[in-house]
Amino acid sequence: MACHKDYEYKLHQYLDGDMTETERDELYQHLDTCEECAIHYKELKKSVMFVQSASHIEAPFEFTEGVLKNLPAKKKTKWWKK
Amino acid sequence: MDAVVKRLIKEIKKDGDEKAFAELVDLYKDKVFQIAYRMTGNHYEAQDMAQESFLRAYANIDRYDENRKFSTWLFRITTNLCIDRLRKRKPDYSLDEEIKGTDGLTGYAQIAATDQLPEDQVVTLEMQEWVQKAIVSLPPKYRSAIILRYIEDLNIQQISNILDLPENTVKTHIHRGREALRKRLKDA
Repeated sequence: MACHKDYEYKLHQYLDGDMTETERDELYQHLDTCEECAIHYKELKKSVMFVQSASHIEAPFEFTEGVLKNLPAKKKTKWWKK
Repeated sequence: MDAVVKRLIKEIKKDGDEKAFAELVDLYKDKVFQIAYRMTGNHYEAQDMAQESFLRAYANIDRYDENRKFSTWLFRITTNLCIDRLRKRKPDYSLDEEIKGTDGLTGYAQIAATDQLPEDQVVTLEMQEWVQKAIVSLPPKYRSAIILRYIEDLNIQQISNILDLPENTVKTHIHRGREALRKRLKDA
C-alpha cells in the first residue's frame, strides 16, 4: 500500500500522464525514499502491463456471414414500378 | 480508413446496402468482439453481444451522426449491451462452474481454447487465463473503462465519449480498476 492516500492518488495521476514536471519530480523523489510507495507503483505498473499483454483475440470464423444472415428482410426495391 | 467508413455509411443509409454493411462489419468485428469477450468473459456471450451490436448499428444507422467518430458510436452500443447482459445474469453465474454436458469443462477452458496466441507471445496460456480472470472480476463500470484504456488503447477523451461519462469519472473508474487489478495481480 502507498504510505498515504494522497500518494496513491498521485501515482494514478502519474500513470494517466496528468502531472506537471514539478509534480513529477516531487513524486520521483518520494519514490526514492519511500519503499511502500515504490512497491505500490511497481505493482500498479505490473498490473497494467499484464492487461496490456492480454492476447488480442479475433472475431470467430464467418462472423460477418452470421451477422448478415440475421439482418431484417430488406424492403423490396420497387424498380419494376418505375 | 475514415473516408472508407464514411462512404460505406452513406451507402448503408441510402438504401440499406448489405454489401457495404458487410465491409463495415469486417472492419470492426475484431475490436467489437474483443470488447464483448473481455466484458462477458466467455466466447458464446461475446459472439452474441458482438453480433447484436452490429444488428443494432444497422437498424439505427439513421441515428448515427456522421460528424462523430463511427467507432465511438459502435463501441457505445457494444459496452451498453454487455453491461445490460451482465446485469441480467443470474447472480450465481460463475466461470468456475462446470458447463453442462461437457464432462468437467469449466468456463476458463472455453476461454483458453479461443485465445489466439502468436508464436512470439511471452505470456503463457495460464497467465492469459489469470489476467482474463482478473479483468472479469472487476465491477462492470471499472471493467469497461480498463478494457477500453488498456486493451483497445483509447485515450480518456475517447473513453468518455464511448461510455457517455465525464472525463473525471472515467479517470476515477480507471484508477479504481487499476487498484483492484493490483490487488489481484501483484503476486505474479
